[in-house]
Amino acid sequence: MGATRRFVLAGCAASASVAAMGPALGGAAFRLGLTPVFLDNDAEIIEALRAALSDSMGAPVAFEQRRSYQEVTGLLLEGAVDAAWLCGFPFLQHEAALSLLAAPVWRGAPLYRSYLIAAADDPARSLDDLAGGAHAFSDPDSNSGWLVTASDLARRGALPERFFSRAIFTWGHRNVVRAVASGLTRSGSVDGYVWEALTEAEPALTARTRVVTQSELMGFPPFAARADRAQTPDLAAFRRALLGLADSGAGRAALALLKLDGMAPAARALYDGIAARMRDVAW
Amino acid sequence: MAALRARRLPLVARAPLLAAAMTALVGLVASTLVLTAQARLQEDRLRELVLLHVQGLSVALGPAVLRHDVWEAFDTLERATAAGAGRLALTVVADAAGRIIAASDPRRAPTDTPLDAVASGAQAIGRLAIPRAATRLRVLAPLIHQGRTVGAILTELDVGDLAAQRRAAALWLAAGNGLATLALSLAGWLLMRRALRPLAVLAERMDAGGAPAPIPEGAIPGGDDEAARLMRAYNAMAGAVEARADAERRLAERERFVSLGRLASTLAHEINNPLGGLLNAADTLNRYADRPEVVRASAGLIERGLKRLREVAQATLDHHRLSDAAGPMTPDDFDDLRLLIAPEAARLEQSLDWRVEADPAALARWPAARLRQIALNLLLNASAAAGRGGRLALDVAEAGGALRLAVRDDGPGLDASALARITGESPAPPGGGLGLGVVRDLTRALGGRVAHARDGAETEIAVTLPARRAAP
Repeated sequence: MGATRRFVLAGCAASASVAAMGPALGGAAFRLGLTPVFLDNDAEIIEALRAALSDSMGAPVAFEQRRSYQEVTGLLLEGAVDAAWLCGFPFLQHEAALSLLAAPVWRGAPLYRSYLIAAADDPARSLDDLAGGAHAFSDPDSNSGWLVTASDLARRGALPERFFSRAIFTWGHRNVVRAVASGLTRSGSVDGYVWEALTEAEPALTARTRVVTQSELMGFPPFAARADRAQTPDLAAFRRALLGLADSGAGRAALALLKLDGMAPAARALYDGIAARMRDVAW
Repeated sequence: MAALRARRLPLVARAPLLAAAMTALVGLVASTLVLTAQARLQEDRLRELVLLHVQGLSVALGPAVLRHDVWEAFDTLERATAAGAGRLALTVVADAAGRIIAASDPRRAPTDTPLDAVASGAQAIGRLAIPRAATRLRVLAPLIHQGRTVGAILTELDVGDLAAQRRAAALWLAAGNGLATLALSLAGWLLMRRALRPLAVLAERMDAGGAPAPIPEGAIPGGDDEAARLMRAYNAMAGAVEARADAERRLAERERFVSLGRLASTLAHEINNPLGGLLNAADTLNRYADRPEVVRASAGLIERGLKRLREVAQATLDHHRLSDAAGPMTPDDFDDLRLLIAPEAARLEQSLDWRVEADPAALARWPAARLRQIALNLLLNASAAAGRGGRLALDVAEAGGALRLAVRDDGPGLDASALARITGESPAPPGGGLGLGVVRDLTRALGGRVAHARDGAETEIAVTLPARRAAP
């Protein structure tokens, strides 16, 4: 039943962008690009967040979802969306053109970790134990779903496609958990926040996996906008709406669904750890 | 074997059993048709399901297979299999080289392993058949994308419920057929029992005490149906049989009287003969009362004469009592017989050749009454046959314990009816012959046999009694 509903919702989610763009056709909607940094498959969460942001802004907000981080980043850079919920890694890749709006607060701080996971019965105790098996990454532009493991391997002088028998991209953190839980891959790199949220939302799924190692704390995926448009009234209003999300009932409800505490101003220094890893994989 | 045994069953059971067998056969054929149709329906449904599944997957998986996109293939397979509502147990997609790209359950069919390892026993989609006891069914179909085969899709179906459905249907059909057969057999048995009740009554009355007994009027069903007509006809036949038996009894009785009448004249002579001697002796007594030696001699004569009379009376009584209380046979019994037949022979001026050459101890093994009756009847018959001036002979001899009693005469011989009466196997027909039937019956009772021989002008009837221990 749950699986069926999720499947149906996934189907809805595929057309959510069209439905959500409805108000935008009037020209007044604020367009927010979403990357699969959170439980992007759950239409209820997305709608709650959209409704809360619309309320806070006093103007309709439309969501734009894409399969990959690259597509969403592209939309933001070309101006097709007004702002986007990005990962720290693509933000840093396009740091010169982008400006930070806010960062979600999870478990008291705008920080999260990357998890290296394997099947629940897998005896691996470290990344080295997983050599030779198939590995699931989330997205080539994801910090927790690629960069962390890739940089760990780079520090060992290894490349993912050599270290693992096969490395696949699943285009979503939940998909990484599915790949590992089903046995499609032996291990996976996943957003720790998503994995923890899933243990509450779909305990049966995460129960089939276990965390092998956790990375250090890093800056939580932020909301960003093009630097050249960061001072427009729309973006200022959106930033206020984000930071004040916890002040409204609808906002708190949306945050509760997202398992987040609230939103906080984000400083560039928050992403220094990611920047350091980026340097390790630089070629 | 079973057919032979069934033939021994009563009709009242055979007809319902036959009906039950027919019902069971029809039920079996109908059930087979139903089950076959059910299996075909299930196969059609499965084929349709697999076809839709494979066609849908082909559209969704084509690009992923071409790009060898493991995640895309897995994601599609897992969703499609989950949407298969429990029927789809496993779906595997392989590239054109037969290497697995992804499976809905990667643990069972790991990526990059050969498809053959999990495709054993897989059927082609066009010729789908559900094996009888299968709970899982594998179907292999080509993955056609943009008009060319780019890989293969293996689908494993969970068909345990279909097998259970077939089993349940078979069970219900068997139970239904069994009940129908049982009900029809019972109804058939009741009907047959009702229809055959008159026959049962008939069979019972026919067998009653060895002779057919008439059916009481109350037991005959009313109306004029076959059963009532049959019973009335039977009653008429039973009455006829009884009347015939009565007539036979009366005839036998009459035969006895005929033989008795013949004897009466013999008896008269027999009594008359000693009477002359007795009267003479009485006269002598009167005349020589003072001569003791004459008195004694005359008294002796009278005593012997009276004894002879008593013997004659006794012999006559014995013949008609047929009692074994008369004791064992003695040579004196033959003297009695001679005494009985001699007057008749004398009357007819017949010569009597009398030869008894049996040891008294040997004779004593047979009861006197029956042996005397046999001999007397034969002698009377021979005398009647020989006619006036004829010759009679009695020849009694004993050899090796067996006794042979032969009576000869020079009469014209026995006619066919008389011969049948004395040597035949069937009960003696009434009338004709002087107690020849009695001779035969008595001989048989003593374990002996009667032989008839015609030698020139002489007829001989010989009774041979086998050796036996002393008479009781």
